[in-house]
Amino acid sequence: MIALVSIEWVYLGYSMSFGPDVGGVIGDLSWFALNDVDNAPSLDYAITIPHTVFMIYQCMFAIITPALITGAFAERVRFTPFLLFALLWTILVYNPVCHWVWAKGGWLAGMGVLDFAGGLVVHVTCGAAALAAVLVIGPRQGYGRTSFMPHNLPMTLMGTGLLWFGWFGFNGGSALAANEVAATAFVATHLAGMAGMLMWVVMEKFIMGNATTLGAASGAISGLATITPAAGFVGPNAAIVIGLLAGVLCFLAVRLKSRFQFDDSLDVVGIHGVGGVVGTLCLGIFASTQVNPGGVDGLLAGNSAQLVKQLIGVVVVGGYTLVVSWILLKVIDVTIGLRLTAENEVVGLDSVEHSETAYN
Amino acid sequence: MNTGDTAFMLIATAMVMVMTPALALFYGGLVRSKNVLATTMQSFVCLGLVSVLWVVYGYSLAFGPDVGHFIGNFDHVFLKGVGLEAGPYAATIPALLFCAFQLMFAIITPALITGAFAERMKFTAFLTFTILWSTLVYLPVCHWVWGQEGWLLKMGALDFAGGTVIHINSGAAALVAALVLGKRKGYGRDSMHPHNLPMTVLGAGLLWFGWFGFNAGSALSASPIAVLALFTTQVATGAGALAWGLAEWKIQGKPTTLGVASGALAGLVAITPGAGFVSPVSAIIMGGVAGVICYLAVLAKTKMGYDDSLDVVGIHGVGGIWGALATGIFASSVVNPAGNGLLNGNPHQLVVQAIGVGATIAYSVVVTFIILKIIDVLIGLRVSSDDETQGLDLTQHSEVGYTL
Repeated sequence: MIALVSIEWVYLGYSMSFGPDVGGVIGDLSWFALNDVDNAPSLDYAITIPHTVFMIYQCMFAIITPALITGAFAERVRFTPFLLFALLWTILVYNPVCHWVWAKGGWLAGMGVLDFAGGLVVHVTCGAAALAAVLVIGPRQGYGRTSFMPHNLPMTLMGTGLLWFGWFGFNGGSALAANEVAATAFVATHLAGMAGMLMWVVMEKFIMGNATTLGAASGAISGLATITPAAGFVGPNAAIVIGLLAGVLCFLAVRLKSRFQFDDSLDVVGIHGVGGVVGTLCLGIFASTQVNPGGVDGLLAGNSAQLVKQLIGVVVVGGYTLVVSWILLKVIDVTIGLRLTAENEVVGLDSVEHSETAYN
Repeated sequence: MNTGDTAFMLIATAMVMVMTPALALFYGGLVRSKNVLATTMQSFVCLGLVSVLWVVYGYSLAFGPDVGHFIGNFDHVFLKGVGLEAGPYAATIPALLFCAFQLMFAIITPALITGAFAERMKFTAFLTFTILWSTLVYLPVCHWVWGQEGWLLKMGALDFAGGTVIHINSGAAALVAALVLGKRKGYGRDSMHPHNLPMTVLGAGLLWFGWFGFNAGSALSASPIAVLALFTTQVATGAGALAWGLAEWKIQGKPTTLGVASGALAGLVAITPGAGFVSPVSAIIMGGVAGVICYLAVLAKTKMGYDDSLDVVGIHGVGGIWGALATGIFASSVVNPAGNGLLNGNPHQLVVQAIGVGATIAYSVVVTFIILKIIDVLIGLRVSSDDETQGLDLTQHSEVGYTL
């Protein structure tokens, strides 16, 4: 993803996402190969930092979004179709949605839909795409019958710690300046992450008897994903409430998955999809101009219109992503095929697709 | 408000946050594989638990308006009045950011203690302990040393980044915990080798990185003192790692990776109270001495027979005490006008530092002991003997670390 999307970003993505607007829908290609993107600040996006810094910061968001989707189809998709999907998805889904929500002239932005650090652009899109992927690709062989225990949970926990750390850059950095809004977003991020973790393990304790480390990790990521759209618009106490909600709703979503027999292998839909939706709506409920005078008021501050706008944002972005992702996957499946052969799935991707083994 | 300071403190805060997962790696690698998740979980859960407590009343009790030089009052419960304007503690950054920075310290301190009772404590007992200990020990001591009008601060005790508040405090609590809980089953008889040393070394590396945020960030501004603190941190840590390795080489025949990682940690701990007050050369001495005495303390533990499983007492306790006293020896008004130590003609500073050390140890030991005893009576501290044999991962969390 790092290599593929970065190249795409330089030659296509940045211009499509943030370039001069065409009808509110997409950027034109005048910034092809970073033409006109230099160290002078961009007056449209961040006036105190070089335009190149804004560009490369946004590149990192574009990279992680398709990487998040991979959790849905883990352990069964071939490498070549995966690369093709990631590239096409970035061009046809990520870039337009990013333009709608964040670019100057984007139509959702123009309507007043807000997304501080990527609840819609990153989490709703990857969650909806993950859902499409699960539907098209189907479960792993033996899903529901044999055990799919994580092979190395300490590694997962380390990943969670590093994600949490990086998320401060993701949300705090989305203020695009070292100012009060960055401080607000930073604090909200941490508090929602911890509230998500606590709530998830409390739910586990009550429903399943034992709090698990994987639950703590999943809860933290739920809280972090959920606060993302709202981070710079809400105060610390609202952030805790949002994190607690994330812990409950994402936990329930992940449990529901097994009822539907969906094999969203690593719970992208339950955590990022549900978290992104809940967070985007929570912005419409908890946002306060007392916290961020440059932001908006939400429902609790007497502005119900914002919640409606947020809802429209969720429906449009979720719907568009689901449909386009589904079509993309179907086309790739029919033409070159997505899945490994049954035999190769049993052998494992490492050996079949990469001629390697992780542990000796 | 200063954007440079704000940017620096945002990053420093994130770096201190990552120290807790780093500690989880450090500790996780040191235990047996049947307890890796439970050990990791104890650090991780502090991120959740202490954060809530901090918002609800912790910040207020630690940093709120003073009551009798002992504790803050309840003015800032639910962070009331902690906003985006600068507060009384840091003039150039939002008060909320100072609050977040301090929160990360409050998180890692109880996480440090977990090393002392690793592999045998019940999860519910651990949660209860963490809540009570943070409330009754951490918050008061934090107020004494750093709160406006705290009594140790007024007396002139120097603690740049938390030697007293964090390391001596957690080290003393760890000693009590190791004694009250007793040894692990089979301690001294069965082998209890670390199950994954590369993980421990990775954790040590990340801790070292995060510590720059911890110490340099304690300047609360992107200032020359922050530069000094960063530099002293680096060289003291290097000296600690080397000294421990060399001492091992001399005494046990071979330098070990665990020894070098522990030595680095000992150096980090020792320089913490002095980071912004001493010169780089003094820092090397402080770190080097820490490497040797912490090593000897860990060796002595085996002789004394208590089971401080992951050497919290030997490293954080002993290193913290040495660092606090050494600050009273090496502090120099040439590098920081805040104060002079013994070597610069001010023996009084060493006395003040010793009082700070003594008071913190005494308070932490007594209150920790009471808390642990109460929990032991009410819900029991230890898992059953069978559960201990099976491992905490399976019995406390229904999980296993590895299915390779």
